[in-house]
Amino acid sequence: MNFAIVVHGAPYSSEACLSALNFAKAVLASGHSINRVFFYHDGAYTANNLIAPPQDETPVGEQWQAFGIGNNIELIACIASCLRRGILDETEADRYEKSGSNIAPGFTISGLGQLIDASINADRVVTFGV
Amino acid sequence: MSSILYVFSQPPHGSINAQEGLDALLMGSAFTTCSVLFVGQGLMQLIEGQSTDELGTKNFSLGFGALKDYGVNRIACSKPDLVASGLNSDDFVIDVEPLDAAGMQLLIRDHDKVLNF
Amino acid sequence: MILHTINKLSALALCRDLISEGDKVVLLEDGVYLGLQPLPFATLAIRVDVEARGLSGRLTKQTESIEYSEFVDLCTRADKVCSWF
Repeated sequence: MNFAIVVHGAPYSSEACLSALNFAKAVLASGHSINRVFFYHDGAYTANNLIAPPQDETPVGEQWQAFGIGNNIELIACIASCLRRGILDETEADRYEKSGSNIAPGFTISGLGQLIDASINADRVVTFGV
Repeated sequence: MSSILYVFSQPPHGSINAQEGLDALLMGSAFTTCSVLFVGQGLMQLIEGQSTDELGTKNFSLGFGALKDYGVNRIACSKPDLVASGLNSDDFVIDVEPLDAAGMQLLIRDHDKVLNF
Repeated sequence: MILHTINKLSALALCRDLISEGDKVVLLEDGVYLGLQPLPFATLAIRVDVEARGLSGRLTKQTESIEYSEFVDLCTRADKVCSWF
């Protein structure tokens, strides 16, 4: 079965980001697939490559990166959510003349249509809200 | 194609989540059959006469008038939550269909996917 | 069957009237504290959230701890998932 996962919460501000990761790992471990993980609202902060937590705390963002890259799963951060919150890729940094980009490896900034597309095409959509 | 029910439960202005929920609904209605159900504090998004110029948030309640034009199928709210809020349908920027618990359960069953905001 | 998830105490008010006979309810995050009180329906609480909060052995009899793998399995058996937060 194919899952779409929606994440509304930022690392550390909300457990949603961690719950969604635990859920996503369990989906794959159970032999199911994930068509996309969509980061909306504060969930977009998960794509911030500049997060540097203390060493004794779980690096939630890095774990998402490893999960996405290691399993070849699309991690999409909503462009509108990202721009509001200062998460930029090279293209957006240039477009808005900002000093640098900070999108984490494994994440892609894209539009809200990706949420709808994922929701329509998945067998199940599961939201981790705040 | 999958139909989507949007459930809005967050009040406006206290966070941007309600506004981003409406954005998602408008986007969704361009692709597939969508309906919306307002529950709990989500009903507060519909209050007419919101004035945000001085506050500095966006008065996205004006956008609800476009839902019918976007083809949003059913626009409903929780009748028990409406009663509990002390408001009535006249207080809202658009017509909404108040549903009792059984009506809301049916609405959820009638859609393939649910997106909560 | 519809699978409802609840992630905090206040979210119960949003959904308690919408849970039909035969539906399943998963408590996660701060929602597992609902497992301390009597509810009009049986619930399944994510074990890691229960243990993190020191609630092991303290939940009502109508609350059963489950693994994430069982949460996934419930999703596949449900017609859809509805998240309350």
